[in-house]
Amino acid sequence: MTSFSNNVVLKARGLSKQYGTVQALDNVDLDLCGGEVQALVGSNGAGKSTLVKILTGAVVPDRGNLTLNGKVFAGGDTKAALDAGLACIYQESQLVPALPVIDNIVLGRHPTNRLGFLNRKAQRETVVALLSRHNLQLDLDIPVQALPPVQQKEVEIAKALSLNARVILMDEPTASLSHAEVEKLFRSIRGLREQGVAILYISHVLDEIFSIADRVTVIRDGRVHLSTPIAEITKKTLVDTMLGHQLATEVTATHQHARSSQQVALECRGLSKSGYFEDIDLCVHNGEIVCITGLVGAKRSELVRALFGAEPAERGEILVYGHPVKIRNPLDAIRLGIGFVPEDRRQDGLFMGLPISANTVMAYLAKVTHLGMLSQRLMRVIGKKQIEDLDIVPPRLDLSPRALSGGNQQKALLGRWLAGDARILILDEPTVGIDVGTKANIYSLLRKLASAGRAILLVSSDMEEVMTIADRVIVMAQGRITGTFEGAQLSQEMILRAASGEVSQ
Amino acid sequence: MITDNARLQPATSTLSGRRFLRAYSLALMLVVVTALFTAIQPAFIQPENVIGILYQVSLIGTMAVSSTFVIITGGIDLSVGPVVALAGLAAVFSLRDNGQVLVPALFAGLLTGLICGVLNGIAVAAFRLPAIVVTLATVSIYRGAALLIGGSVLHQVRGPESFLYIGSGRVAGFIPFPIFIFVGMTLVMYFLQTRTRFGLTVFATGENAEAARLCGLPVARTRLLVYLISGIGAAIGGIVLSSQVSTGAATYGNGIELDVIAAIVLGGTSLRGGSGSVLHTVIGALLIGEINNGLSMLNVSIEQQLIAKGLIIVLAIAFSDRLSRWADK
Repeated sequence: MTSFSNNVVLKARGLSKQYGTVQALDNVDLDLCGGEVQALVGSNGAGKSTLVKILTGAVVPDRGNLTLNGKVFAGGDTKAALDAGLACIYQESQLVPALPVIDNIVLGRHPTNRLGFLNRKAQRETVVALLSRHNLQLDLDIPVQALPPVQQKEVEIAKALSLNARVILMDEPTASLSHAEVEKLFRSIRGLREQGVAILYISHVLDEIFSIADRVTVIRDGRVHLSTPIAEITKKTLVDTMLGHQLATEVTATHQHARSSQQVALECRGLSKSGYFEDIDLCVHNGEIVCITGLVGAKRSELVRALFGAEPAERGEILVYGHPVKIRNPLDAIRLGIGFVPEDRRQDGLFMGLPISANTVMAYLAKVTHLGMLSQRLMRVIGKKQIEDLDIVPPRLDLSPRALSGGNQQKALLGRWLAGDARILILDEPTVGIDVGTKANIYSLLRKLASAGRAILLVSSDMEEVMTIADRVIVMAQGRITGTFEGAQLSQEMILRAASGEVSQ
Repeated sequence: MITDNARLQPATSTLSGRRFLRAYSLALMLVVVTALFTAIQPAFIQPENVIGILYQVSLIGTMAVSSTFVIITGGIDLSVGPVVALAGLAAVFSLRDNGQVLVPALFAGLLTGLICGVLNGIAVAAFRLPAIVVTLATVSIYRGAALLIGGSVLHQVRGPESFLYIGSGRVAGFIPFPIFIFVGMTLVMYFLQTRTRFGLTVFATGENAEAARLCGLPVARTRLLVYLISGIGAAIGGIVLSSQVSTGAATYGNGIELDVIAAIVLGGTSLRGGSGSVLHTVIGALLIGEINNGLSMLNVSIEQQLIAKGLIIVLAIAFSDRLSRWADK
């Protein structure tokens, strides 16, 4: 690799950002050079997304400054960032699905004629020139929604280039792509590199990083722990740096919980839903915490949502305490003693307009009904018990869940199921967006619930979380189980291998 | 995410005055409007006039409290107008064909409203069509049905006395009976809202239907029921109206849905769903009634009244919205 040090396009110095008591970023320096693909890695909550938000101008840093193309660039202005030549391709598509490619590329900046009408001819000429300059091949007149995911990414790249972007941030660009499509995207990215574009490539997939990046920067707990040419680092060092030594020792201490019961609480056999998951066998015992992990797009959420009846499976059987059962909707699952905490606690979980007390009883309204009438008194009794048992702060029944922090919101959702003595708990990404301290709090809570005999099935992308809490880990890739690991044999590498699709035992 | 949490800390430190305003901004509006009209025209607050206002709002009020749940679930029922006509006609025809007997007539009227409501509900709940589209279509269908069976003539009610009492009777020779219907319906709806699982499910459905579904709540059934109730409320309105004017006609209730929805929205129920209150709808209906009555007393012409009413509604909503936002800070 050549040295880029004299060609720094984006320079960040001393970036710091605090959210409440959480130091999301702590004195971060970053140099990004033209013609360089720099990978930014770190586990969830390490501060990557805060850094991206500061770079794109969505968030103002508490301290520190940014220089873009030699000019100091004030944070907190997304338009200014775009104008200065910094574009971001987010994990979620920013395109208008129904519009054709040509309109998406120049959306909001359509060339017009003297009368203010669209100048279609000029538009087409500009876009064709742009695409040929960058060797991108796209059919201009197809609606974006009809394109395969990789071409949608290319449309986003073209859109960024049409803004004369010299720096492009890519947040998990391969999340929804197949293996072959990833290769195709990489060819486009290499093309950009040759044109001198600086690329900050954010990804969890280590193999990708080793094949595309020139340099890798590791961020952990809001700090840059390492920034080095990719050729000078091994995968193992990279993983160790990402996770930190402290965790490596913690792991052995926490995850070895002997299974306390041989009673299978929840089991499924040959569970399938075409286009989502295929032939899934799994079981969770009483007193056990089982984690399902894998990459985004592994269809883990779809699987657990099927187990809960939110979107039922098409084939296969589900057994609860050894009895074959039919789960066609959430109510069936709830009656069987299953509780489910969805991935998006705001969107699919909480009722922000209702007080915490009502939120905690919502799944078991029969318990607060007396003589056919809703009893406010019983609601308060149950709500109060959950607040006390789960240590929800502030301990106020009448507040909207909006007033709670993410961690306490999650506890309130757990409380909703504990209020009805759900024996089997399914949690989808329970600690996303929750700070480290509260995370630990939730882990010990889950462990306590498991020790009391509950069966817990947990979906998590957070490797640290999986290593910390799981008694058993099931790894999924592309809708299939590609590995099962007992607590004692857990290793980061094995999980990552299975997650990227290599089937193992 | 984290910033959101930081902003919305518990309201413990908030001034109690602000919390009071937040809870009662609407009631305060009612007091202000009452005081304003009374200052200009002292007769406004006289018992006879107050009862007059209540009598005037009882029809719209009954329908509005019955339709409040629909809006709390995030839906809307535009079809209450033609249901007034259809249910009134059904009751009047039943009287004509069954020898002027009260009970079958009430039954026919209410059943008509129930069927109309259920049809709306099925389209919204089972076929998941947008409520505004469904009820816009049923406005046309129900009005067409009313014209088909009622033609363009007025159908006279020839008795019995008991039927005419519904709309024109006075309890103790003083208080018009429709006021009792309004109060009765309000109490029923208030009970449903605050004391039943159904009432809580209505809120949950409007606030977050997906979360409600994942709690095992009967979201579709709840949606169906709220339209059914709205249909019955409109049918009661139709029976009261036909009794008041002792006729049934296919054109009755034309445009009444706008007053009904205005009362609900003026009461602070959000068209986005998830919030609202039956009692606030009552206040909304009273505000509309006071505005109508006050402007008439001030000899404002009907054309100017319409314009003034529209302006006052917008200003009142903007004012109470600002007030509660300010109190929320």
